[in-house]
Amino acid sequence: MRKEFKWVSFVLVLVLVLSMLTGCGSKADNNQTSSGSTAANEASQDSKEGGKLTIALSANPKTVDPVKYTGVYEGNIISNVADTMVRYKQDLSEITPNIASEWTVSEDGKVYTFKLRDDIYFQKGKFQDGRQMKAEDVKYSLERSAKESAMKRLSMLDKVEIVNDFEVKCYLKEAAASFLTVLTDAGNAIVPKEEVEGWGDSFGFNLVGTGPFRIVDWKKDDCVVLEKNDKYWGEKPYLDGVTFKFITDKNMMTNALRTGEIDIATDLTGESVKLVKEDSKLVLKEVPGLQVSYFYMNMLEGPTKDKRVREAIIRAIDIDQMIKGIYQYDEAKRAYLPLPPGSWGYDASLESLVPTYDPEKAKELLKEAGYPDGFKTQIYVADKPARVKMATILQQYLKQNLNIDLEIKTADWGTFSDIASKGKAPFYGMSWSWYPDPYFFLNQMFHTSQIGSLGNGQGFNVPEVDKLLDEALKESDQSKRAELYKQALKFIVQEHARVDYSNEKVVCGLTQRVQGFELRADSQIVITSPDVNVWLKK
Amino acid sequence: MLKTILRRILQLIPILFIVVTFIFIITRMVPGDPAAVMLGPQASVESVQELREELGLNKSVGEQYVNYLKGIMHGDFGKSYYYNEPVIKLILERFPNTLLLSIASIIIAILIGIPVGIISATKQYSIFDYMSMVLALVGVSMPIFWLGLMMVLVFSVNLAWLPSIGMGSLENGLWDVISHLILPSFCLATIPAATFARITRSSMLEIVKQDYIKALRAKGLKEKAVTWKHALKNALPPIITVLGLQMSGLLSGAILTETIFSWPGMGKLIVDAIGNRDYALIQSAVLFIAIIYVFINLLVDITYLYINPKVSYETGNGGE
Repeated sequence: MRKEFKWVSFVLVLVLVLSMLTGCGSKADNNQTSSGSTAANEASQDSKEGGKLTIALSANPKTVDPVKYTGVYEGNIISNVADTMVRYKQDLSEITPNIASEWTVSEDGKVYTFKLRDDIYFQKGKFQDGRQMKAEDVKYSLERSAKESAMKRLSMLDKVEIVNDFEVKCYLKEAAASFLTVLTDAGNAIVPKEEVEGWGDSFGFNLVGTGPFRIVDWKKDDCVVLEKNDKYWGEKPYLDGVTFKFITDKNMMTNALRTGEIDIATDLTGESVKLVKEDSKLVLKEVPGLQVSYFYMNMLEGPTKDKRVREAIIRAIDIDQMIKGIYQYDEAKRAYLPLPPGSWGYDASLESLVPTYDPEKAKELLKEAGYPDGFKTQIYVADKPARVKMATILQQYLKQNLNIDLEIKTADWGTFSDIASKGKAPFYGMSWSWYPDPYFFLNQMFHTSQIGSLGNGQGFNVPEVDKLLDEALKESDQSKRAELYKQALKFIVQEHARVDYSNEKVVCGLTQRVQGFELRADSQIVITSPDVNVWLKK
Repeated sequence: MLKTILRRILQLIPILFIVVTFIFIITRMVPGDPAAVMLGPQASVESVQELREELGLNKSVGEQYVNYLKGIMHGDFGKSYYYNEPVIKLILERFPNTLLLSIASIIIAILIGIPVGIISATKQYSIFDYMSMVLALVGVSMPIFWLGLMMVLVFSVNLAWLPSIGMGSLENGLWDVISHLILPSFCLATIPAATFARITRSSMLEIVKQDYIKALRAKGLKEKAVTWKHALKNALPPIITVLGLQMSGLLSGAILTETIFSWPGMGKLIVDAIGNRDYALIQSAVLFIAIIYVFINLLVDITYLYINPKVSYETGNGGE
């Protein structure tokens, strides 16, 4: 027995050493500073320089190759490592220069000419020594995105022409007013060809760009470690480094914030919001998000194909009460339209077109449609607490006011997206979040070309709406576009296509040592930019 | 013994073939399209279709199965759709982490469970016996995710003794590694420790009633020697069987524990792979687990031979 035990102990120590050699460490300096600050710390309290920040991401990134990424959490890593041609201001109010110092648009809206900064250098990588970024890199990166991007982010781009080392012309297949917005996406970041080709498939873990931080370590399923890029062309980061830690369990993320193992917890919801709010050592930050939560009603088949049934359902739900039930910690505001109020296309005057809570009228409508005794149907939702709560409250309203028996079907994302996108779900609940440009909401969710995708799994098909959306995309004047989108929205609301019930906030928890951090409505985490530069209180 | 091992390894082939076929069918039966899951909610119909083609998902299921089998024959287990890397690489990266956690947990479980079981058996119907068996019952019934969260609340959040997430790194010293290991390994050890305590108790109770134990006592042998040397050795076979089963279970990935403590091991890899409908990764990970189960069973059988040389597999029965 003793011999065996020695052997087991030996194996344990061996395995421990082997697996730890490659481990991703939590920072040595991650203790809360609210108590026990030393004399040395006090001496350097004025300085903003130094320190390492740990941010928790709620999902596990699979790649940070710009053309291959699909999740917001992956975009958060990319945007701190690589730069885009243009960028959104922190409040998303306008698009400002970044790698491109200025640009002009041809009259037909098909040619964009960009002047590039001449003081930008790539981070040093395995296949290049930190050379200057030039027009050929822009051409390479954008054309690569146009051809290879799984998300087809630059599908409107025809080709990029090099005018000189610091000027390019982008030719579009047809006028697309969303082009500049798309260029702000981390998926269109500028990268060096040598690194992309040198790393091959592994470029997704070895991204090299021109951003304020560079990747120094990636421990799969655990963390990505970034280090300050000393050669960054913009305002230098205060921080020495940033670690993105992947914590998929929300409760554990909050606990890690409370223990000081992480400095920023992202995507907080439910009970976690309350815990952070109540903890005097933590700071809760929230902004209205560019997000809409809603449920669709199938327009292709079943009782909800009838517009009167859809209106009856909308009138049978007291949305204000529903919101109070779903979001007990004030994590959302009531929504009216399929566009978040933060979008420039939002028009509050349309809110009055949404049918109000009126159970009597609802009953009449349902009777008129031929369902005086209600019917049986189903709602599909992904297995998330907020969605399940919504479905449960909806179930009660429909039973109580219309005698409709709603069966709740919760499924994991794979099953849910499969059923919902193929138009097999009578009802399905989800949320949508993207850029402030209405194109990224309305075209994706109401254009007939998207029937069969999750965006338009309900089968919304109104030719007038298609026409308005196409027209708005070709128009370059924002006020004219806003007018076109307003008209489209009017049609959409009058079709009673779906129930938009909430605009969830973007909520983060911070330890008190984090300073200068500002949330963005699109959930992007910006550490260093002309608008923000995060630092740590010593 | 060599013959036994060889025969067992040969038996592995049909078992693994059945596993491969079964898991291939099951993954295809679950609704969900890997391409749609990978691209997320905002993907257009066109993008999903193109990715399906790129991943070879538009081929017939039969064709996919034949290609998969051909790949395995050539040692190619395929590439993960999600990570775009060979699945073997992904599994081998995570396995040492799971191995570390499992071995630590099983050692804790043995150190707690077996002595408790022995003492309970030797002091049957004592307060200690009742208390420990109630605790063992609580232990086997405890929901791990709840226990994990409670442990974190107490030891990390309130007492601030131990870290709550991740694996730690040797760069920060050995204590960093050990401190990160304590909570998940104790959490994971709960069920095996309770199981060991119950099995050891019942197995020991049977043995201590045997005549040869009485004879040993009559011979004047000290009680300690009777219990720990003679009785325990004979009570070991069922304990070893359970140990094997528990170890296989732990190695196949302590799914909940790894998720709660953000431990980058096999459990997390498999859960993510299922969620992402990453067929190639699910198939290979399950195959890997099947191999582990078979090998641990083999190890258990060999251990029987070592503990009790009278056991023989050649005749197909215990050779009394």
